[in-house]
Amino acid sequence: MDEELTLDLLIAKIQDPDDKIRAAAWDAAGPVGAAAVAPLAKVMAEGELEISRAAKRALWAIVRYVGRPGADEEKKPVIGELLKLLGDDRPVAVRREVVWMLSEIGCGSCSGEVLAKLLRNEKLREDARCALERIPDEETTKLLVDALESIPGDFRLALAHSLRVRGVEVDEKRYPCQKLAPTRQTQVKPAGA
Amino acid sequence: MTKQNRKVPRRTFLKTAGAAAGVAIGTPQLIPAHALAAPGRTGANGRINVGHIGMGGRARGLYRELAPLRESGDCQSVAVCDVDETRLAQASQEVGPQAAVYRDYRYILQRKDIDAVVIGTPDHWHGVQFVHAAECGKHIYCEKPACCTIEESRAMVAAAKAAGIASQIGSQGRSQPEAYLMHRYLANGVIGKVGRVECFHYPSPEDKTETPDSDPPPQLDWDLWLGPLRWRPYNARYLHGVFRWMLESGGGQIRDRGAHVMSCAMHWMGADGTGPVTVEATGTSPTKGVWDSAVLMDVKYTFENPDWVMTWTQMPNEELPPAEERTPDELIDGVTRISRPGYGAIYYGEGGKCMHWGGDGGTWAERKVRQWQLPAGGKDVYKSPGHMQDWLLGIRTGKRCIMDIEWGAGVANLTILGNLSFILKRKLRWDQSKMEIVGDEEARRMMSTPQRYPYYL
Repeated sequence: MDEELTLDLLIAKIQDPDDKIRAAAWDAAGPVGAAAVAPLAKVMAEGELEISRAAKRALWAIVRYVGRPGADEEKKPVIGELLKLLGDDRPVAVRREVVWMLSEIGCGSCSGEVLAKLLRNEKLREDARCALERIPDEETTKLLVDALESIPGDFRLALAHSLRVRGVEVDEKRYPCQKLAPTRQTQVKPAGA
Repeated sequence: MTKQNRKVPRRTFLKTAGAAAGVAIGTPQLIPAHALAAPGRTGANGRINVGHIGMGGRARGLYRELAPLRESGDCQSVAVCDVDETRLAQASQEVGPQAAVYRDYRYILQRKDIDAVVIGTPDHWHGVQFVHAAECGKHIYCEKPACCTIEESRAMVAAAKAAGIASQIGSQGRSQPEAYLMHRYLANGVIGKVGRVECFHYPSPEDKTETPDSDPPPQLDWDLWLGPLRWRPYNARYLHGVFRWMLESGGGQIRDRGAHVMSCAMHWMGADGTGPVTVEATGTSPTKGVWDSAVLMDVKYTFENPDWVMTWTQMPNEELPPAEERTPDELIDGVTRISRPGYGAIYYGEGGKCMHWGGDGGTWAERKVRQWQLPAGGKDVYKSPGHMQDWLLGIRTGKRCIMDIEWGAGVANLTILGNLSFILKRKLRWDQSKMEIVGDEEARRMMSTPQRYPYYL
């Protein structure tokens, strides 16, 4: 892309009917930064199929750009904008992407609490658990421990697994490992049977 | 690890067989056929019971590749598994009523009578299923690429080591007859010290269909197909077979065929078990659709001690190097025409260069390599009896397979790092001794992808 990609130009090009123009726009979106997060999320939520996908890719391009070493000052406002997208009024599909974005650039102190709240959201809890598992700091470990002690039901087995991944010892009898337990039956009979 | 009574002795099946044949296990030469077992058909007690996890396109091919070993009595296929009931029924028709049918691979792992498994599922399942199978004491043949993340590669290597199982990753290019010729040619320094290997490949495909999400077909267990991947609605463009073009699963041509071509390079360069110090990738992405792997790509891997460079380039078809034309009189003794000219590698040494095409089920060495004769005192290299045969040899004798998980994971790591550098648009530094990315927090987090419960390592 030869011309400088401003915010307005990015949002316009990301909605262009020509897929090559959209692709060039999202590929170059990184430096546009935090200012583009909310508008892109809106396009992702409301745009037609391929335009929505283009907007999503642009968001990821920004996340990966500000995630580079030495870019902490650019990263913080992007995290701030992403956290605003996790409200209950936002579409699940957008929130799911945002959770995974935060798994790459978030931190316990800046995004842990918000992610931990999503552990009680049935549609997003698994993604939130994965994000907390991935963010490597004591704050997220503590949030997982708190969740294990406070969230009822089978989801605790998944939380226990995350804690084990993080090196925390978890009672095997109370939270047994179930990964090798088969659960799915087939309706197919062997040939000739 | 789950211990179980084993019908087929593993590492205790010696050495006696090899020693009796006057062959030291591990030396680079062909293991005589009679080291496998008594001459002729294997007795029932020595027959290896195999379970097949995944019975789609490539997986059915793996089942067929075992046919000679079933016919000789070395093994029998006793179970098949697939998450697509239509495929499972078709597989059962082919395999026969003696094989149990399952949707859930964990039933296969539970069976104490099953000695070994062949994993032919989409790539995002390889790590988890391999680790589970190892923990259940099964010998494993797993399709390439070995895994999708660095975390998986570490876990697979550790699980195989802890269980003491024989493992083979499906980079069967190493076992091809002309691969042996290439390896021997390079190992004898015919072109001198090799400083650069340039791997070439045609582009990854793009999806122009604009397919929206939809309900999964009734015969497909979508949750089980997704397995460890994060949840998303079904889309017909994720499968079957086309998972290869998703970064989080197949990873594009670099992982799909790079796992073959770079496997050959690492083996022939004597670089198995080593890794690069830096990886730098650029590329172009598809402009729409759900496939997101690089269409065109340039990756540079820099190795140190010894110093050499490997590149991986996905280039437009018109830029690919032309393939050698083989004359009719060359097509004897198993030599075939080059049926896959669109990928391979060129080796640049101080004294010349040489090249091959393919690197998977077909590996073709250029003419001068094929015609080169080993001189007296020259260095011979291991000649695989065949990729499946080599695996079974590993099961019976404890010999290291030609592409065991440690080496297979090493090659997969190259492809994973190439994709990470492409995704992040930056150069990455790699510490092979610690098996980790250095100096880039986001990249370090992407060495793992947390798995969806309960499909975890």
